[in-house]
Formats: sequence, C-alpha cells, structure tokens
Amino acid sequence: MPLTRRSFIQMVPASAAALALTSGAKAAEPIHHVTVLGGGFAGCTVAKYLRMWSNGEIAVTLIEPNSNHVSCIMSNLILNKRLKTTDLTFEYNDLQVKYGVEVVHDRALRIRGPQKQLRLKNAGWVNYDSLVVATGIQFDKIPGLVPSKVPHAWIAGGQTNNLRNKIIRMPDTGTFVMTIPKAPYRCPPGPYERACIVADILGRRSGYLDGTGNVAPRVIVLDANPGIMAEKGTFTSAFNDLYGDIIEYIPDAQVESVDSDNLIVNTSQGSFAGDVLNVIPNHGAQNILKVSGLTGDSRWADVDPVTYASTNTLFQDVYVIGDTQGTSQPKSGHMANAQAKICADSIIRTAHGLSSYTEERLQNITTNSACFSPITYDEASWLTAVYSYNPDTGSMGLVPGSLGEAHNWSSRNFNDMFTWSDNLFADTFK
Amino acid sequence: MRVISIKISGTLLIASAILMLPLSTAVAEDQTVNRMIASQCAQCHGTNGYARGSYPDLGGDEAKDLADHLYDMKGEDRPSDIMDHQALGYTDDQIRRIAQYYSTLPENGGD
Repeated sequence: MPLTRRSFIQMVPASAAALALTSGAKAAEPIHHVTVLGGGFAGCTVAKYLRMWSNGEIAVTLIEPNSNHVSCIMSNLILNKRLKTTDLTFEYNDLQVKYGVEVVHDRALRIRGPQKQLRLKNAGWVNYDSLVVATGIQFDKIPGLVPSKVPHAWIAGGQTNNLRNKIIRMPDTGTFVMTIPKAPYRCPPGPYERACIVADILGRRSGYLDGTGNVAPRVIVLDANPGIMAEKGTFTSAFNDLYGDIIEYIPDAQVESVDSDNLIVNTSQGSFAGDVLNVIPNHGAQNILKVSGLTGDSRWADVDPVTYASTNTLFQDVYVIGDTQGTSQPKSGHMANAQAKICADSIIRTAHGLSSYTEERLQNITTNSACFSPITYDEASWLTAVYSYNPDTGSMGLVPGSLGEAHNWSSRNFNDMFTWSDNLFADTFK
Repeated sequence: MRVISIKISGTLLIASAILMLPLSTAVAEDQTVNRMIASQCAQCHGTNGYARGSYPDLGGDEAKDLADHLYDMKGEDRPSDIMDHQALGYTDDQIRRIAQYYSTLPENGGD
C-alpha cells in the first residue's frame, strides 16, 4: 500500500506504512503521489508541470542529493569567462513555493520494482505510487583516469571550473587534447562547440588569430565516432577554415587508457600528450538503474515514448525521462524538458483513469530540440529538430524538413542564445 | 446515444436520426492534447506562452493570426530560421491546435 503524501514527506520507513496512514493529514488528500528522482532539466520540468497541469491534485516529491542544479547548457561559456557558475546555478525554491513541489535532499540507491519501493541513503526504504527517474548520466570507467587531474567538465559545476583553471594556466601556444564519447552521448554538438571555444581562447591569447603571434596553439580533438555528430556544416567549416591551423580533428579514436600524471591519452589512433587533457568518457544510465535491474542489458532505460513508462514489466508505474531514457531522440536539456511534458500529461491521465493511447493523443505526440553553440567569443550557430511519434513503429522519428542548422555563425545568434537559454531555464526551474 | 437507422425501400435513412442528436454529443477536441503539443513551444516562448526577452509571447494571440504565421514559416521556399524548421515539424492540424490553445490563455501568461 502506498504511503500518503504527508507520510512520505516525513520519510516514514516502508515498514511503518500502516502506522503512517493513520496520521491525520490536514491538507486534502491528493489523488496521486509522484516521486521524481533527479533535479535537472527532466526532473524539474516534470515536477513543475505535474503540479501545474493537475491543479495541485497530484502531489510531487522531488529527490535530489544536491542543494541546487548547475546547468550544463551554456557551461562552455564558463571556460572563456563569458559566464560564471552562479549564472547557471538554479535553486529549487520556485518549484517549492510557486508549485508546491516537495524537495527532499537525499540520494536514491536502489529501486524495487515489484514492491514499488525506493531506498534512500538517509531515509531508508520508502514506498512510491509512481516514480519518475530522471537521474542523468554516469561515466564509464577508463583505466588510469583521475577526473581531478583530467576533468570531463561534462557534468557542470566544479569540473567546469577545474577545466577553466587548467586552461588559464596552460601555455598560450600549448596543446589542448580532448576526447569525444561514443554516441549516443549528452549534448551532440557540445564537444565540437567546446573545441571551438578553446581554440578561440588560445588563439586570442597567443595572438595567432589576430596575426600578432606566429605560433599556433593546438587543439587536438579525438572523436570516438566516425565523423562530426551534429551541425556538420558549421563545425566542418569552423575546424577547417576559422581554426584550421589550430584544431586537428581525428575521428574513430577510441580511448583505451589515460596517464593522468603525465597527461597522455592512449587511443585506437595512437597516444596524445597535452598541456591540458579533457577526457569525456562514454556514458550510460546511472548506476541505480543498473543495480536495480531497470535497464536490463541496455546502457539506457527502454521506454514507451507515448508515456515514458519503462518497458521493463517488473517496474510498473516507473517512468524514465531525459538523458537516461533510451529512445533515439538527442540527449539534451531542451529535449529532456520536452519529454517531461509528455510524461506529465500521461501520468495525470492515468491518475484520472484516462488512457494515454487515444487516437487523438497518439497522433500528436511531439518533442523538439533547439540549441545554440558559441563558435567564437561573440558569435554562435544553432541547431533544431522536431520529433513525432510513429504509431506503426512505436517510436519517435525525426520529422522530415525539421532538421536545420544555421547557415553561418553570427553575433545575432549569439544574442539569441541568451534569450533561448533564459526561457528554457525559466520553463524548467521557475 | 445510438443512431437509429430505418430502412425503407432499400434506402438507408439516417439523416433524420443524426439531426436529432443534441449538439453536446459532437466529439469534442481533447484540450489536454492541445495543451501537450502547445507546451513544446514553451522552452523558447515561456511557460503558458509568456516569453522572456525578445522572443514573441504566444499567450492570448488570436488563433488565426498565430496559425497563419506558422503556416507562412512552414511554407518558406528556403527555410533559414529556427522557426522555419520548427514549423515544418508540425502538421497543419497540429499548428491549428497549438494556435487554438494559446488563444485561450491570458496575454500575461497567467503568472
């Protein structure tokens, strides 16, 4: 039997559920209680929209170990000091005060699907009615990799500052070596954008880009994929022309091991040494999904994109959204926000005893992605796409014609980038 | 309500039965579906269509104006802006639904 919202908030252990149910709750009982794991783009959006669209009929508890969220979106601009970490840090106050989301700072360790129970580090085992898993990514282990010496900066925050500080201290005409993980990975254009940002930083500092310096710095990009994975026109042009003397792009380079003390990365294309090494390991779903058996043999959690419910039959009423889910949609904060709304709508329908599989709804399940990539200190490009549900295949597919990228990078795009991110942040966290 | 058909001389006469149906039995459009599609605009145009900065507000727009605007973008010979591509991602009916939904929201986004 699920705990009431009130008793859950008080973190009553699962064994005391019957006792907890007898405690008098002052507020009207909600019709359903949703527990959300993870306070990033996916988790915050689903929490907000569940509360907003259910007019408060659905109680939501969001469980997140950190006291705030630092956005990965825009975080490459911390490297060139266009932004500070505080500019990208979001508290959970608005979710709590404006929308009535209960926020609990705890860490989820395990899910028992058949029992509909969740183990938290501090609170122990608790029950859930419905569970939304939005826990983001976890990196694969790489032999020799010490993240403090060789930062990934692919989960924003301390790692981003670490990388920025290493770039600040490296020689102006030194060598920066970075690796790009095997797809699917978080933020398809992000690594190529980072290569451009670092080439711009070093190119300006050395004087090479304005002709006052004769020695070009080097940015070596080791891509585990066979080619550029996003904004191919933009990044091919930036790598070959704008930063042609600085960036060296090497595809099909699988990372095998790292010497974190001597800053050497060993790959299938050879060994590369740098003054700064930025290794972004391959990644998959968080460990909690694996140890709980939710992902089965997959790297990501398989879901039905009509509802984002797990396809694992042992995990009824468990939904997975954002980077953790395993559809072919790109892994991005914008897309996580989009998926969260489809999921919220479905959960509200279920709570009211309504189907998510009406003909009308099935024909109108869409998500979209839009993002901007800074290419220079004050110019950016963009990428956009729309996905729709195909009832014949049961999957989300790219709508023909909707995929587009900027014809060139520009200062107008750079300004639009801040409007875009400001709106995305607000729709998610505020 | 059952539609009663009366067969006379081999002709199926159902028109009179349909005409007797009260208006309330017409199949209503699911507004939560329209809300779900429309919410996909909110990442850039703000929750309930109340945008920050220079991006256009959608909340409170006349449905026809917003739909026509999106149809125009969808019809661009050479899509060049983000919205040209975004508009190409939706059927005409989805665009109509999005526009219809935003027309029901207040201009100030309801915050």
